[in-house]
Amino acid sequence: MKDISLYIHIPFCEKKCAYCAFNSFCAKDDVKEKYISLLCDEIKRRKLPRIVKTIYFGGGTPSTLFPAQFKRIYDCIYDNFDVYDNAEFTVECNPNSITEELLKCYKSCRVNRLSIGVQSLSNKSLKKIGRLHDKQTALDKIKLARKYFDNISCDLIVGLEGEDGKALTGYAKQLLTLGIKHISCYFLEVYQNTPLFKMIEEKKYKPLTDEEQISAFEKLSNYLIDAGMERYEISNFAYPEYESKHNTNYWKRGEYLGFGISAHSFIDGVRTENAATLDDYKMGITTSEKLTVKEEDEEKIMLGLRCNLGVNLKELKVDLKENPYYKDYIKQGILTEKEGLVKLNPMFYQISNTIISNLFEK
Amino acid sequence: MKDLSLIRNFCIIAHIDHGKSTLADRLIEMTGTVSKRDMQDQILDSMELEREKGITIKLAPTRLIYDFEGKEYTLNLIDTPGHVDFTYEVSRSLAACEGAILLVDASQGVEAQTLANTYLALDNNLVTVPCINKIDLPSARTEEVKQEIEDVIGLDASDCPCISAKDGINIDQVLKAIITKIPAPVGDENKPLKALIFDSHYDNFKGAICLIRVFDGCVKQGDKVLMMQTGKVFEVTEVGIFVPNTKTVNSLSAGDVGYIAASIKTIADVKVGDTVTSAETPISHALAGYKEVQPVVFCGIFTVDRAKYNELKDALDKLKLNDASLQFAPEVSTALGFGFRCGFLGLLHLEIITERLEREFNLDIITTAPSVSYHVFKTNGQMLEISNPTNLPPAVEISRIEEPIVNTSIFTPPEYVGAIMDLCQEKRGIYKDMQYLDKKRVELKYTLPLGEIIYDFFDSLKSRTKGYASFDYEIAGFQEADLVKVDLLLNGEKCDALSLIVHKDKAYTRGRELTERLKKLIPRQLFEVPIQACIGNKIIARETISAMRKDVLAKCYGGDITRKRKLLEKQKEGKKKMRRIGSVEIPSSAFMSILKLDEDE
Repeated sequence: MKDISLYIHIPFCEKKCAYCAFNSFCAKDDVKEKYISLLCDEIKRRKLPRIVKTIYFGGGTPSTLFPAQFKRIYDCIYDNFDVYDNAEFTVECNPNSITEELLKCYKSCRVNRLSIGVQSLSNKSLKKIGRLHDKQTALDKIKLARKYFDNISCDLIVGLEGEDGKALTGYAKQLLTLGIKHISCYFLEVYQNTPLFKMIEEKKYKPLTDEEQISAFEKLSNYLIDAGMERYEISNFAYPEYESKHNTNYWKRGEYLGFGISAHSFIDGVRTENAATLDDYKMGITTSEKLTVKEEDEEKIMLGLRCNLGVNLKELKVDLKENPYYKDYIKQGILTEKEGLVKLNPMFYQISNTIISNLFEK
Repeated sequence: MKDLSLIRNFCIIAHIDHGKSTLADRLIEMTGTVSKRDMQDQILDSMELEREKGITIKLAPTRLIYDFEGKEYTLNLIDTPGHVDFTYEVSRSLAACEGAILLVDASQGVEAQTLANTYLALDNNLVTVPCINKIDLPSARTEEVKQEIEDVIGLDASDCPCISAKDGINIDQVLKAIITKIPAPVGDENKPLKALIFDSHYDNFKGAICLIRVFDGCVKQGDKVLMMQTGKVFEVTEVGIFVPNTKTVNSLSAGDVGYIAASIKTIADVKVGDTVTSAETPISHALAGYKEVQPVVFCGIFTVDRAKYNELKDALDKLKLNDASLQFAPEVSTALGFGFRCGFLGLLHLEIITERLEREFNLDIITTAPSVSYHVFKTNGQMLEISNPTNLPPAVEISRIEEPIVNTSIFTPPEYVGAIMDLCQEKRGIYKDMQYLDKKRVELKYTLPLGEIIYDFFDSLKSRTKGYASFDYEIAGFQEADLVKVDLLLNGEKCDALSLIVHKDKAYTRGRELTERLKKLIPRQLFEVPIQACIGNKIIARETISAMRKDVLAKCYGGDITRKRKLLEKQKEGKKKMRRIGSVEIPSSAFMSILKLDEDE
């Protein structure tokens, strides 16, 4: 039987962050209960003869679920799917919502990895972007979580006002000292119709310029690599053996099922997206797309070059060597090729869009 | 037997925008040629571009029937283009007429092309009837303009029709003037056929269509006709007139304007200006015909997608069918691949052709900067005609270069004389003459290099005179000049498609402007890219495009791969208008726009 990954989307947050443009919202308990029922229905309905190798609770903020609510979903998954004993099981948490009770619950439900949305360790920044925690809470909660879990990842945002490379490496240092094994670094993305967008328009907030962001990212990246981590994807750093297996499955184009609103699935070469609103989701509305050969190639190139896995030329239908850009990129050291495996030089990760799209067929 | 005294053949001549097409519309409407229901503005301008730009490009004839003092007259109107690029089209239609309506804008007055077109009409022995248009405008100064016509042109304007073509005022006076002032054609329909081809176009079903004016004799279906210049004989398959759509008739005879079709497969067999006669009883002397028009502006045309070369070739072939003045020959550029070096009558002609290629044939094209044709005399005595800067031999092999020059006539209100003189000075013009035509109008005459005219002279003239000056030119031969080739290096590699021939004194300025311009036009690349301008091996200007810094999609939300892929596909799509030169990507618009950098910098 084939392996599969499962993604469970929990759209609820205690409070929406200033920069957030995702499908997440604050909800009353009855809405949450209703949603969990729908989620469990979907899990039952879409069960497949596959063995589960990773489970990932993302959001939103999955840690806003009470232990009993979490357990309901957990039970449903294990009742309907075969799960490997050593399956990677991640839950995204906000520092604020972490409690000893919750950690115990996760532990008992075979969760073995946490992804904590730290984002910054500057109280000023955290407040401005509307996070509920402060620096001390973040550090305390990480310490607490570490008592139960070895494999913890933290998110950091690059681009917040005043947070240069020095500030970011400072945060990273504190996180590593606490035993964090994996760090995801994301550029601040400003979307229209978010409070942050408005703040910037009104000149009340000044994120780093592109140049500053790149330079801050580079400093942070160098620090993490010097500390023994590997940049195994554009935005992800991990100590050996601590790479996220769940995300790696996305990049390898492995199969996955996503449950919940806006969740994505990839089964038998078909990509499916669940409806984005509760009402549509309730009716089971989805959009699906069977990838063409060309689109499959594009995915392979895009995903392979974004991480250290690379692209296997033999797996492409298109002859990449015929692409006019390919030869130049090899010559310029932007791409390297070894025994049919093509990789993007990490120096060029930050401008990878141009490179990757140029390698797409016309 | 037809009564020739009831026929008038005429055209309308005017400076651009003085209302020719609108007057044609009114005449068609008043004579009931086209029913109200089918009437539309600029009815004779069938091309999409003509309507959009509000200009006439191709001449178009139409037959009007008008009752005057109890008699039914046949009036053949030939609409003509107004822009200076298409002067040759005007002169063609003149040869088919006995008279011309000279239309003058009541607020603008006499302009450069008013005069130029009047001279053309006089050269063709036409009776010219002045007519003042746009009297409805608040700024109309009808009486003054009458005086201008008398003083500047020397035509009697005392009783000329004063009309508003737009509002349909006094149109009957125009019709009256046509009948009473323009002479009827003379000719004998019993003599052997003698007809002038004044235009031609291609019809997919009927082959080449010849627009003719019959001077003597008669032509009908089944007649064998001889084209006197090409010596080819054809059997006439269809004879017709324009009303303004084609309508077949039994015959065309002396005095008539119409068309013949004769299963002529290639347009090359029809020479505009040729004389058509009977193959059985040919006349001995052909009509005077026309001077062949020579293109004066050249540029390279390439496709953005190199694979579409053949589509470009087919498109040019098709355009050539209806536009004998378009010339093209294959060209290879290291930077742009296979394309064509095309010759045009002027910049507007160039612009129209490139727009038609893009719209009617759906091609994405790259146009290189326009150039004129230089006479290059080599030290070995050889003379080369160079219209592509890339082909200029190395400086050591050149003994001298001659550039085409034009005689220009500029009409302007006196307050702009200084500004125009400055402009002509900058453009290396040589002052010839200045005349006060009246208190409000000065005519300036300059000899200018054609190469400077195509380099945004017209735009500069308009902006420096707030649009009041008008201008006309004619080619006046060649003149020696100190010219050099400026090459552009991108990332150290020469880009042949960006080379320019310029006057030595301007080379540095132009080189600097060019590099600055390209820096603005070329987006950041993966690496830092130096842009250099050089003469021979000597660098005269340099700019640097800094390397791209941030171009990355960071986060992958819960396995949403599709969104990412689509974003990148979109990015790829946006690149379609880019051309890759060495390792540098250039927007295809850059090649043409290097020419438009004067004023705004």
